[in-house]
Amino acid sequence: MSECSAMRESMPLLLTESLDATRREQTLQHIENCALCVSEWAGYQETWSLMADLPEVEVPARVRTQFLSKAGIAPANVVPFRSRPAFKWLAQAAAVAAIAGGSYFLGDYNAPRIQQTAATIDGVRPADDIRMVSTSPVSIAETRVLNAAAISPEIQGRPNIKNVQFVDGDATDNEIGVSFDITSRWTVTGNPKDKSMVRLLSYMLENEESMTPRSTAMDWVRRTYSDPANAEPEIANALAKVLRNDAHEGVRIRAVETLTNLPSAVGTQTRDALIQALKDDPNPAVRLKAVEALAQMTASGTVLDPAMVDTLRQKAFQDDENTYVRVKAAEALSNIKPR
Amino acid sequence: MKHLSDQELMRIVQAGDYSPAAEIYDRYSGRIYNFAFRFLRNSEAAEDATQEVFVKMLKHANQFHGDAKLSTWLFSITANWCRDYLRKADNKSKESEDVLISLPASSEHSPDRNLEQRENEQRVRRALESLTAEQREAILLSRYQGLSYAEIAQIAGCSEGAVKTRVFRAMETLKKTLMGETRGGDRCLNVVQ
Repeated sequence: MSECSAMRESMPLLLTESLDATRREQTLQHIENCALCVSEWAGYQETWSLMADLPEVEVPARVRTQFLSKAGIAPANVVPFRSRPAFKWLAQAAAVAAIAGGSYFLGDYNAPRIQQTAATIDGVRPADDIRMVSTSPVSIAETRVLNAAAISPEIQGRPNIKNVQFVDGDATDNEIGVSFDITSRWTVTGNPKDKSMVRLLSYMLENEESMTPRSTAMDWVRRTYSDPANAEPEIANALAKVLRNDAHEGVRIRAVETLTNLPSAVGTQTRDALIQALKDDPNPAVRLKAVEALAQMTASGTVLDPAMVDTLRQKAFQDDENTYVRVKAAEALSNIKPR
Repeated sequence: MKHLSDQELMRIVQAGDYSPAAEIYDRYSGRIYNFAFRFLRNSEAAEDATQEVFVKMLKHANQFHGDAKLSTWLFSITANWCRDYLRKADNKSKESEDVLISLPASSEHSPDRNLEQRENEQRVRRALESLTAEQREAILLSRYQGLSYAEIAQIAGCSEGAVKTRVFRAMETLKKTLMGETRGGDRCLNVVQ
C-alpha cells in the first residue's frame, strides 16, 4: 500500500478524532505536503460538513403516550396540558368556578340531592383584561385545597359536581373536608382573528382526544378560515401538525382538505405540510390527497421551491410508490411553467 | 427523577419500579428515533422501533450492567431491531412482488431553513441510501450519535477494525456521491422561484 493510500484510510479517523496522537500528526503532516491528499482531505471535510444538513426530526408525541401506556405507566388517552399565555384567563375562570362551586357545596351539603344542572358562572374577564393578571404558571386541571372560611360563593345556577368524598383526617381537630370534581361548560366568543380564539382552536385541533370532535373542529375551521379576511398562519401550523402527527388517516385526510382551502396568505405552511405528507405519510390515501392538492396548486400557478419540485420528481419516479400518487406527482410537475 | 444518573434510574427499574421510564424515554427517545429513522428510511418503522426499544429496556432491565453506558445498550437494542426489520422486509420482497415501502427520511421545512440547506438535506439522504446497511449503521452512529468505534463495535457485534473499515468505505462512497453531484450533477430544475 502506498503512503497516500494509507493516509487516505486514516482521513475518516481524523474526522472522528479517533487517531492516536502520533498517527494524527503523521497524517496531518502528509496532507500538508501532498497536493493530491490535500484535495482528498478537503473532499472528506466537505462531505462531513454537508452531513450536518440532515436535521434532527421530532419524535411524534403519540410514541411516548403509546410506550407509557404499554408499560402500564399512564393511560393512553392522557394528554399533558401545557400552560400557554392565551389560556391563563381560562385557568383563572376555572379557579373562580372551583372556588364558587366549593363554597356553594360547603354551604349547602345537607341538601337531600345534588341537582346535576349546568352552572352559569359570572365574572369571566374578557381576553383584553387578562394580560394584566398574574403570569405565574397555572393549570386548568389543577387540584386545589381551599379553606371554607376564606371563600365566598359567587355563582348562579348549580355546578355539576361529581365524585364527592367526605374526609375527616383528624377527628379531634373539629375540621371536616369534602373533595369533589367540578365540571363547567365554557363558551368563548370573539373575532376569528382574536389571538385567544386562534390559539384555543389550534389547541383543540391538535389535542382533542376523540376523533369526531377533531373532525368537527376541522370542518368549522375550514368554513371560518378559508375566508381570506381570516387568514391565520397559526391555524395552518396547527393543521400541519395534525397532518404530521394524527394517528387516524381520516383526520389527516381532512387536514389536507382543510389546508388546501386556506387562503394563499398562509401558502408557505400549507405547501410545506403537503410536501411532508407526500414524503412521509405511511398511508397512500393521505399521500394521494396531498399530491392531488399540490397538483391543484401548481395548476393554479402556485410556485414551489426546488426541494419541493425534487420531492415531486422523486415520487413520480419511485417504483414502489402507489401508481396514482406517481401519476399525480407527474401531473403536478407538468403544471410547473418554466420561467 | 431528573437529577438521577442513568445508572441510578436503571437500578430503580431493575428493582421492578417502572416510574423512571418516562424520564429515560425523554432522555434518549430523540436519539433512538432519529437513528432508526435514518437507518430504516421509514417513519412508521422508526416509531415502532422507538416504542419497542423502551419496552424491551423495561422487560430486560436486568441484562443491563451498571458499568456500561445506557446509550450504548439502548443503541444495541435499536440496531438489532432495525436489522431484524430490514431482514424481514428483504425476505418479504424476495417472496412476492411487494417491495418494501421505503420512505425517505423526513425533512423539517421550517421557514428558517434556507433552500440550500433543504437541497443538501436531500442529497445527504440520497447518499446515505446508497450505503450498505452495515456501513449506514456505522456512519450514523459515528457521525450523528458521536459514538466511539469501540462502542459501535459493541453495538454492531464486530471488531473495532471492522467498524473502521465500514466507516471508511461509507465516507468514500458519500464523498464520491456528494462531491460528484457538486461537480456538475443533475442539479437543473425547471422551477419558478
